[in-house]
Amino acid sequence: MTSHESSKFIGRSMARREDRYLLRGQGQYVDDIAEPAGTLHLAFVMSPHAHARIVSIDTSEALRVPGVVAVLTGEDFASLVAPIRADIEMPTYKHTDRDVLAREKVRFVGEQVAVVLAENKYAAQDAIELVYVDYDILPAVVALEDARRPDAPLVHDHIDNNIIFQGEFSTPDFAEKHAGSKFVIREKIRHGRLAGVPMEPRGCLAVPDRGDSLVFYTATQIPHIVRTGLATHLGLEESCIRVVVPEVGGGFGTKAQLYPEELIAAALCMKHRRPIKWVQDRREELLTNIHARDHLYDLEIGFDANGIVTSLKLEFATNAGAYSSYPFGATLETTGGARMIIGPYKIQNYAYKNYCLTTHTGPAGVYRGVAQPSCFLAIEALMDRIGRKLGIDPLEVRLRNVVTPSDMPWTNVLGVRYDTGDYPACLKRAREVSGYDNFRRAQRADRLETGKYRGIGISNMTEITGTGAPGWRVRGLRSVSGVDSATLRIDPTGKVTVYVSHASAGQGHLTTFAQIAADYLGARIEDVRVIEGDTGSTPFGTGTFASRSAVTGGGAVICAAQKVGDKIRRIAADMLQADAQDISLCEGKAVVAHDPGRFASFQDVAEIAYSIGNGVLPEGEEFGLEASEFYDPPVVTVANAVHIVEVAVDARDGRVSIENYCIVHDCGRVINPMIVDGQIHGGVAQGIGEVLMEEMVYDENGQLVNASLLDYLLPTAMDVPNLQIHHMESPTIDTTGGFKGVGEGGVIGAVPAVANAIADALSGIGANVNSVPLRPAHLLSLIRNAVREEGRAAIEESAY
Amino acid sequence: MDSTEVMDVELTVNGKRYKRRVEPRLLLADYLRHEIGLKGTHIGCAHGVCGACTVQINGESARSCLHFAVDVQGCEIRTVEDMATPEALHPIQQAFHECHALQCGFCTPGILMTAEEFLRTNPDPSEEEIRTALSNNLCRCTGYVNIVKAISVAATRLQQHKN
Repeated sequence: MTSHESSKFIGRSMARREDRYLLRGQGQYVDDIAEPAGTLHLAFVMSPHAHARIVSIDTSEALRVPGVVAVLTGEDFASLVAPIRADIEMPTYKHTDRDVLAREKVRFVGEQVAVVLAENKYAAQDAIELVYVDYDILPAVVALEDARRPDAPLVHDHIDNNIIFQGEFSTPDFAEKHAGSKFVIREKIRHGRLAGVPMEPRGCLAVPDRGDSLVFYTATQIPHIVRTGLATHLGLEESCIRVVVPEVGGGFGTKAQLYPEELIAAALCMKHRRPIKWVQDRREELLTNIHARDHLYDLEIGFDANGIVTSLKLEFATNAGAYSSYPFGATLETTGGARMIIGPYKIQNYAYKNYCLTTHTGPAGVYRGVAQPSCFLAIEALMDRIGRKLGIDPLEVRLRNVVTPSDMPWTNVLGVRYDTGDYPACLKRAREVSGYDNFRRAQRADRLETGKYRGIGISNMTEITGTGAPGWRVRGLRSVSGVDSATLRIDPTGKVTVYVSHASAGQGHLTTFAQIAADYLGARIEDVRVIEGDTGSTPFGTGTFASRSAVTGGGAVICAAQKVGDKIRRIAADMLQADAQDISLCEGKAVVAHDPGRFASFQDVAEIAYSIGNGVLPEGEEFGLEASEFYDPPVVTVANAVHIVEVAVDARDGRVSIENYCIVHDCGRVINPMIVDGQIHGGVAQGIGEVLMEEMVYDENGQLVNASLLDYLLPTAMDVPNLQIHHMESPTIDTTGGFKGVGEGGVIGAVPAVANAIADALSGIGANVNSVPLRPAHLLSLIRNAVREEGRAAIEESAY
Repeated sequence: MDSTEVMDVELTVNGKRYKRRVEPRLLLADYLRHEIGLKGTHIGCAHGVCGACTVQINGESARSCLHFAVDVQGCEIRTVEDMATPEALHPIQQAFHECHALQCGFCTPGILMTAEEFLRTNPDPSEEEIRTALSNNLCRCTGYVNIVKAISVAATRLQQHKN
């Protein structure tokens, strides 16, 4: 049996194994690991200026604080750690080397300029207040819109016009085809800057190990990339570094980077041979963890009288902040927004120019959805505008433009292959379950009802998931492998351990990978244990980000399980004097088909494989019962969903409430529906935050004015409604297992849907909604500008 | 600044008495985590917003990052470690497990502390009341959907226990 046909565990909402210890408060996050004796604590002095020359640093007073061991500056690290540089191979790309502590110049508020080592964290905190840095303040460029101006200060002297890289693409004869479009709508869509803000701030603990080696505990999503990054930047052999990922309190991409503090902690541990610990506080988290979005789309969409899109032209810029990060460089947002905007649509004439710009703001990087929440915000806003212009229902406009099942497998103009999915059916199902048509029938032309503008929004999106090696090569990322791996081992007692190259930050991998392994091996699930997040025991892989784990880790687990399963069959066949192809694996036993009384347990087989007892290995068979398999999925695997949202915008204060929220989602073969729904819930909540409240607000001097959770608002239980989720399952035919990723779909769908619902609500008064976030003050000003005196009276009247 | 001053702080934590000589500026959260080693209480923001560090002081939920240990001298403190027995989860924890009301689990101990007090004082809450009580605690993973559900399930079960 291949065990593929009998899914005993895949597809079931199995409760998570992780919960038992997490609920008891026994999860070991990095700050919870017992500190070895002699641990030194780090605290960082951060720049209060966005752009300044460092004139001098006086550490003498800080050194007098009891418990302080050393205070170090950039010069001290110049010979210890190479500047951070991501390995990017792209035409026009310019590197932004970053010293782990700033030397000569600082380039964003929060950039680290000195580090204190102390016996305890209170002393370290005391001492950073006493490090006196003399700065020569320089003019800063902050806003994306200003970065390319001829008079803008340069962030890096070697980067002209602050352009880290630029690209362009065009389908053949684009200008001619675009000029031939019957109608053209031009619109600019602005997406604000925000951040992932996991509940656990970052931290690490570096502990000297035997000889000259190091165990490095860090809250990361990419342990193997961190290990390689530590080795290359510190000039160490990888064999002396073991990266261990403890429990991680949320990642969302913010922990899929190698940060300066990690390099500093590891370097100091190697230098002093003492344990080094660092845990950031929330202010540092908001200032220095990667930010995201901050995009500007300048679009022209051409279409015919039926609403069929005939051309799309995009000029697109993203704000990378002061430095590109490791390992993604500053590439993903800029290439992603331009490449993914086509989404589920059959757009055949497309041209883009994209610019990645550097400014004196916090470095940007990958946050859940990467560019997709914003590029779908853009394209979905255009779909609505086509509908408004032509008087066609916006859902109908989408139906007329989507790739249909008969087109599948579909390769879009950029070469992205869509293998399975039924986009029209997904739209129609969402229309039905959300009561879309009834809402539209009842909706007033002015949208005003009981003091609130009521609107409905649609988002019809695809999610690029499980990107394999070719996908990362296309995007110029040398150090992001794309492959993941698993080692599946049956121990002498017949129990199964699966070592996976991933690292969960709450996604429930210990449960879902066990479901996959048990199914494909024919094991009892209680006999399967999953281990990940440890470079000492797991094989090399890319890690957990960009909706990868189910596709890449799942594929690897399947391949390893099949290989071990084949060996079990061969050994059992020899023991039972049967044909290997007649042996099926089920509940931890190898059973002869049609003769269930003849079987060998996994333990019986394992004893032979390990030469325990008197059994003898079949001829030609090697000792051991394990397999390590790498899995490289295709370029990408495309999931999809439709979100339909009803909102009410209070006409008097601009506050938005979400009245109904429906999702039809297709992530291929579902491993654990409960966990999949949880991923969607969390993503949607982040998307709601992204549209209604979240924004990193910089003033014109480059000060982040809301670097606390009192001022950077996150959604609470009062902001996120109950979500109605329906699934369609179109297993991918391109990957092993049929899984498509799901980690980002929620946020990608939510941002356009909620924004479009607000836009629809305000369309009756002619207000143009073309940016997020849409906070009450902004919406109120849109309403006030659109509504004259008599209209205000109508609002008051309607409210009572 | 004089950080050399120390004081004896005596607390009852999860029914056990502890006495430690600490600086007056030591946060209750750090007392619990580092002086007596109860690390189930997490610090998410250290400025009283996120609620990850929520414990109960004399039965009422409170932010352990906003109290100095000396301020709660002699008080009864309860933390997440006091909820389950080695054999069984507390009914609220059990409902969280069944409803998938946690993902990364970092905010969970604080939410459990809030929920336990809430259901003690409001045993039969409406969804709106649950959401209001929960708005004290931030969660970045779950969107709160399953947390609301779990608290509602737990409320029903706790009521049945009583009857």
